[in-house]
Amino acid sequence: MEFIVQTNNLTKRFGKHTAVSAINLKIRKGEVYGFLGPNGAGKSTTIRMLLGLMKPTYGSIRIFNEDLNKNRIKILKQVGSLVENPSYYPHLTAYENLEALRKILGAPKSRIEEVLAIVRLSDVANKKVKSFSLGMKQRLGIAAALLHSPKLLILDEPTNGLDPNGIIEMRNLIRRLPKEYDMTVLISSHILSEIDQIATSVGVISKGSLIFQGPIEEMRKKANPKIRITVNEPQLAYQSLLANGIQVDSQNQHLYLSEQTDNEVAKAVKCLIKNDFSVYRVEEEKQSLEDIFLQMTKEGNLQ
Amino acid sequence: MIGKLLQADFIKIKRKGFWLLSFLGAFGVVGLQIVNYSLRYDWLIQQSDDKWLYYLYNVHSFTAMALVLGIVILTSLIASVEDETNAWKQLIALPVSKMTVYLSKFTVLATLLFISSTLLAIFTFSYGLFLDLGEPVPYIEILKFSFYPYCASLPILAFHLWIATVSRNQGIPITFGVIGCIATYLAYVLPDWVIWKWPTLMNDWNDPLMNVWLGIGFGILLYFIGMFDFIRRDVK
Repeated sequence: MEFIVQTNNLTKRFGKHTAVSAINLKIRKGEVYGFLGPNGAGKSTTIRMLLGLMKPTYGSIRIFNEDLNKNRIKILKQVGSLVENPSYYPHLTAYENLEALRKILGAPKSRIEEVLAIVRLSDVANKKVKSFSLGMKQRLGIAAALLHSPKLLILDEPTNGLDPNGIIEMRNLIRRLPKEYDMTVLISSHILSEIDQIATSVGVISKGSLIFQGPIEEMRKKANPKIRITVNEPQLAYQSLLANGIQVDSQNQHLYLSEQTDNEVAKAVKCLIKNDFSVYRVEEEKQSLEDIFLQMTKEGNLQ
Repeated sequence: MIGKLLQADFIKIKRKGFWLLSFLGAFGVVGLQIVNYSLRYDWLIQQSDDKWLYYLYNVHSFTAMALVLGIVILTSLIASVEDETNAWKQLIALPVSKMTVYLSKFTVLATLLFISSTLLAIFTFSYGLFLDLGEPVPYIEILKFSFYPYCASLPILAFHLWIATVSRNQGIPITFGVIGCIATYLAYVLPDWVIWKWPTLMNDWNDPLMNVWLGIGFGILLYFIGMFDFIRRDVK
């Protein structure tokens, strides 16, 4: 399997504080890799190291199968990035901002119009960026990251501070990129639901350590669904079910079946009805990805 | 690589007053003599037999101060262009070496100051002609009084670019700037090793060329110290 990004025991210390501890990221070609973790978990530090903005204390980074330390400039020619809050020159127009970057990147001049169209800023190309809304500035940041048609796009918290509309817009934009432009995307966030719908793989970081990495389906599998039954007299029903040899838990006036096969559920319901309980609800309770994420980061904190 | 970065840097300094300041610096120095000579021409013109040289000394008395002030403002301004939205992280994440980024900033400022010094020569010459200070026109002296201070101030430029780019707070370089301006003002009482004295072209040997060589030598040294410190640091 071809890895676009691969880190080996990547570690960063600030004095005595370890911000990132022995991380082994593996990002495959064509993936949208969601890099998740609470604020201060080390996401930004990791991303800054991937871009060569910070030097690792220990460990190595390989991007496009080349050592970042040795071939930084060659690698960065194919990497577009947006790190945290968007950077721009407020006294210049959107066009001039991109032109200044284009000069350095050596991209063709026509690319500016193209990327402005992709992020839908063509109409305001000649307005100064200081008059832009945060969402527009964020989109300009994406346009800048796309200027040289990179093969790897690294976005650090691209939806930070955006309103719901802006978030949806950004999400749709990012979703289009891998398909339409053959890119691999690394996107970090502290809110799982933001990237839940666009990521194909996730890495979860907590207190500087990677506590989960894999396809998003695998993370969903951890979401142990349960069958919850609501009846008129939970305590009596609980005893009655146990007496009939059915595995069940009682919590907060609800019954939870441990076995979830159709057969087991039918058996439990039949038993309840036979014993004259009123069954109000039989429902499947799924732990949301958010809950799994919270649980994971909590466990991470306990270690 | 450096060419592309320079082009980008010249786009970034648009509408920030860099060009205006470069003009005003040179114009201000000669402007003060325009005021001076308009008010008391008759008295000034009798002060020396060499009217041109006397005039050049008058102009020169403000050149060093204007240079130091200009360096402080321009370096802080160029750092603030990147600091404002922390564009350093965007700039350094581009396929460029940090060394070239630093060299480009230095080159932009050195160019602006050079243009300012050239304007100073032109303004000095023009107003001198207007005053009808007599023949022959001391072309060489005019050029010396315009470009020697420039060369002698290179260490101050290198020093200020260094602290302006690595400080998170522009208060630090501005504080050094204020101290530097006072030092330049009091140059005649200061020892020769103080770099802020150099642009005044005063020294114990009475040889202005000494300041030029010292300026270029220490300018290069301080430039490299600043550049390596800039490269060594993680980006804010």
